[in-house]
Amino acid sequence: MGVTTETLRQFLAVRGNGGAFLEHEVKRLLRLVGMAVPAGIFIPAGETVPVPFPLPFPLVAKAALPGVSSKSDLGGVRLGIRDAAGLSAAVADIGKIPAAAGVLVEEMARPGVEVIVGGTVDPQFGPIVMFGLGGLFVELFRDVAFAMAPLDRAGAGRLVAATRGARLLCGYRGQPPVGMEPLLSVVMTVSELIGSGLIGEIDLNPVELYPDGALVVDAKMQLLPQ
Amino acid sequence: MNPLDCLFKPRSVALVGASADEGRPGCVVFRNLRAFRGRFYPVNPHRTEIDGVPVYASVCDLPETVDLSVILRPAPEVPELLAAHAGKARCAAIVSAGFAETGSESLQREVVRLGRELGIRLLGPNCLGVFSPYQRLDTLFLPRERLKRPKKGNAAVVSQSGALLLCLLEALAFSGRGVSWGINYGNAADIDAADIYDYLAEERGTGVVISYLESVADGRRFVAAAERLAERKPLLILKAGKGESGQRAACSHTGRLAGKYEVFSSIMRQSGIREVSDFEELLDAGHALAVQRPSRGNRIGIVTNAGGLGVLAADECARHGIELPPLPEAVRQRLHENLPPFYSVANPIDLTGQVRDVEYLTALDSIRDEYDGFLVIAHTGVIGLSLRLAELLSAFRAVSGKPLVAHLTSGGITGGLAGRLEKAGIPVYPSPERAVRGLRLLLNNGEAPWG
Repeated sequence: MGVTTETLRQFLAVRGNGGAFLEHEVKRLLRLVGMAVPAGIFIPAGETVPVPFPLPFPLVAKAALPGVSSKSDLGGVRLGIRDAAGLSAAVADIGKIPAAAGVLVEEMARPGVEVIVGGTVDPQFGPIVMFGLGGLFVELFRDVAFAMAPLDRAGAGRLVAATRGARLLCGYRGQPPVGMEPLLSVVMTVSELIGSGLIGEIDLNPVELYPDGALVVDAKMQLLPQ
Repeated sequence: MNPLDCLFKPRSVALVGASADEGRPGCVVFRNLRAFRGRFYPVNPHRTEIDGVPVYASVCDLPETVDLSVILRPAPEVPELLAAHAGKARCAAIVSAGFAETGSESLQREVVRLGRELGIRLLGPNCLGVFSPYQRLDTLFLPRERLKRPKKGNAAVVSQSGALLLCLLEALAFSGRGVSWGINYGNAADIDAADIYDYLAEERGTGVVISYLESVADGRRFVAAAERLAERKPLLILKAGKGESGQRAACSHTGRLAGKYEVFSSIMRQSGIREVSDFEELLDAGHALAVQRPSRGNRIGIVTNAGGLGVLAADECARHGIELPPLPEAVRQRLHENLPPFYSVANPIDLTGQVRDVEYLTALDSIRDEYDGFLVIAHTGVIGLSLRLAELLSAFRAVSGKPLVAHLTSGGITGGLAGRLEKAGIPVYPSPERAVRGLRLLLNNGEAPWG
C-alpha cells in the first residue's frame, strides 16, 4: 500500500464516514498527501471572523456547501476581498445561504493555466482518472482524457498528452511552459486516491499550473455510494 | 495445446438438437456440419438417423468425448442437457437465446455453474457459434443459399452481436475476401472477447482481427487482452453504443464527463488500440490490413490521373491528420524532365487523362523514398491505361515494401485491373475517401507497435 493510500485511510478513520466532505476537509487531506493548496481558514457557521485576520489580503470567501456542485451559482463565492470590512460583509452574506456549514476564507490564487484532475469509479474499468484543460475546454469542448488508476509516471504523461489542449501546457504563444513534474505528481496522487477503493469520486477543479508548481484551488470528494 | 483449441479447431463436434425438418435451425446446422472435416455426431432423442447419418439419442451415448458440442434447444432445457455432457464434451456453444439478454440471469448463472463444475468451457449463450472455412466448421443457422460464406483467408471476425457477424461475413464474401474464423460470443457468460483475443494472438493462421463490440463487462481484462493481441497483429475495434451515458448521478465534473464510451475510447487510444468509426471503415481497414503490413509514418504521396479525385483524397487526408508533404525540389526537377510539361508535378501528382501506364511507375519511383505510403488513383476510362498497370504497381510495391492502396473508377477495364491488383495484395477501394481511410490504418503515426 502506498503512502497516499495509508494517509487517506487514516484521514477517513479520524474523520468518520458521516456526511459529505467540505472543501476545507478535502484540502486538509490533499495537503497531507503532498499537494499545494491555498492557505485558508475555515469559519464554522455562527462563529465570528478573527480580528486581525491572520491571512494577507486580497482574500476569497467560499461557502462550505456539502454535496453542491457549483457554489458560485448559489452566490456562495466572493473574490478579491481587499480589507477586514469587506471580509466581515462577505462572511455575513454567505452565512445567509441556508445550507452553508461555514465559510472557507483563502488567499487568492495567482492565475496560471487551469486544469481539472478527477477520479471516479467507472462501471467497466473500475477506478479511473480524468485529466482536462480547465475552464472553457472542459465546459464547451469536453476535451478530457481518462485512464485506469493507479497510474505510474509514464501513464500520467500519456493521459495528459491525450488531450487536444495539452500543447497549451508547453508554452503557447509566448506563455511560459508549466511545470510538468508537479502536474504529473497531482495526477499520480489522484490516481492513487481513487485507486485505493476507499472513495467514490474526487474532483480537483481547477488546479492552477505555474512554471514552478501546481495549486489545487477547489476540491470535492465523495465516498463510495453505500 | 491451447485449451480453446476445442472451440477453434475441434476434432469432433456434436449437435444437440439436430433436426430433419427443413426450415428449422437444427436442420440448417446439421447440413452445415455434414461438411465438417472432423467427426460429427448429431443428437436427437426422437431420431435414429437423418439423411443417412446415424443420430444419437443423448450425448451420454457418444462414442467419445467431443471437443465441441453445439446446443440448439430452447433455453429452459439447456441446464439438463448440459448436465448430461459430464465427461462427454470439452466445450459447448450454446446457441439458444433466452438467458441474461432477456432478463433470465438466474438461468444463465445456472449454466455457468454447471460448465465450471463439469470442466466444460462455454461459448454464448445466445450466440451463433463458430465459422471456419479451413475446417469446414459452420454452426451458423442460416442456410448457405441465404448467406454466402467467405473463403479461406487470414482475417478473424470476432463479434459480440450475431447479426453483425453475419453482416461482416457476408460483406467479406461478396468482396471476394477470406477469413480464418468468424466467431460470435453473445452473452459471454464464460468465454469472452478477452479469451478469444488471447487465442487469436497466438494463432498463426490469423493475420488481422476485426472485432465488433457493444459492451465490455470487465474493462481491465479486455484492455489487457487487446494490448497483448495488438502487440502481435493488427486489431481493429468497432465499438457501438457510443451515446450510452455513464448513468451516474454525479455532482462532480469528473462523474458527469465520464460517459461510458468516452472512457472506453480514451483508454483504448492511450493503449495504442485502433478504433474505427463505422461498419464500412471496419471492412475497409480490415481489408488493407489483411494484405499489407502496417508501417511507421504519417506522410503519403498521391499519384492520380484525375485531378478532382486527388483533391477529394487530399481533403480526406486533412480530416484524419495525414500529411501530404510537397515534392522535394530535386524530385520535381527530375519529373519535369521525364513527364510531359502539362502534367501537374506536386502532391498529388496529376498525370492527367493523357497518362500512359508506365508513367504511374515513373512518378511512383521518383517519390519512393520521400513518403511512408502511397495512394494510386486511376480513372480507368482513359485510352492510355491497360491491365499492365497492375503489373507495374505490384512491381513498385515489391520494391518499396511500403503501404500502397488504390482507388479505381468504374470503367471498362476496372474489373480486370482490380482483380489483378487485389491478387498482388493491393487493396482497391470504390472511392478516394475510402482508399485514404484504408491507407490510414496501414500507417501507424509512429504509435502502435504492430509488425
